[in-house]
Amino acid sequence: MTCRELVELLIDYVSGDMPADGRDRVTRHLSDCPPCVAYLETYQHIIRLTRKLPSPQLPAELAARLRRALADVQATPPRSESPGDGPSRNSAWA
Amino acid sequence: MAESGTEAGSGRIQLRPTAEQVYREYSPRVYHLARRMLGNTADAEDVTQDVLLQVVRKLDTFRGESALPTWLHRITVNAALGHRRKKAVREEKQVRDPLESFLDDGHHRGPIGRWSVRPEQEALDHETHELIETAISQLPEIYRDVYVLADVENLPNADIADMLGLSLPAVKSRLHRARLLMRDALAPHFEEVSAT
Repeated sequence: MTCRELVELLIDYVSGDMPADGRDRVTRHLSDCPPCVAYLETYQHIIRLTRKLPSPQLPAELAARLRRALADVQATPPRSESPGDGPSRNSAWA
Repeated sequence: MAESGTEAGSGRIQLRPTAEQVYREYSPRVYHLARRMLGNTADAEDVTQDVLLQVVRKLDTFRGESALPTWLHRITVNAALGHRRKKAVREEKQVRDPLESFLDDGHHRGPIGRWSVRPEQEALDHETHELIETAISQLPEIYRDVYVLADVENLPNADIADMLGLSLPAVKSRLHRARLLMRDALAPHFEEVSAT
């Protein structure tokens, strides 16, 4: 296995979505290749760092704009059109 | 306060969110998802208002609060993609293949440094946060959409494929390329300075 071949497999390796023989080949390569160990580590770092990105509060001007729009829509009778597919389960926002 | 509603056919009573709860709990997330997909705060503001009003108008059709987040994700993605199409902005970025950084024999072209940043820390400092946001905004759109939904929003690949109309292998391929591009973009900022 070359370093390039290992890097192509990282998405399955880090998600655990890889057969045992593939994992063994990756592990063998890593045991003898410090650059690939560092590459794997940084690949995992970027995933973990990105998952920590916050979604802070709305900018004040947008919050005020949304409040006004919300008040307007609540003051008018409901309409009958559907905004899209029906709701389903399983979400990171749950 | 949430209102009670009956899930169709089940007879179970579930909580239905109020417009105020949708605004308070979800509008920041809608805004930041749209901002990261569109790379533009003004467009993200329009999309956020559009999504919020669509949802609030149809709140009485919700079966239960547990279903709302996925529905919001889907509406936000559709609204962002629609907004992008409406503006008809063609992206001119050349997409670099991150796997070009290997020699013909498959070895790394240059040294791979370890990073000084510690992802184990509880929260990102402001500078790290900004570096990551900037790197995301510079991803080509085809990679950015998948990256934001997978690694920021933490959605399953199957849901992303469904939302974007892609095959599962295409989602995985784009996500992997996006992570490699992010890694390459951030490495110069995060690599430890070697003691020479």
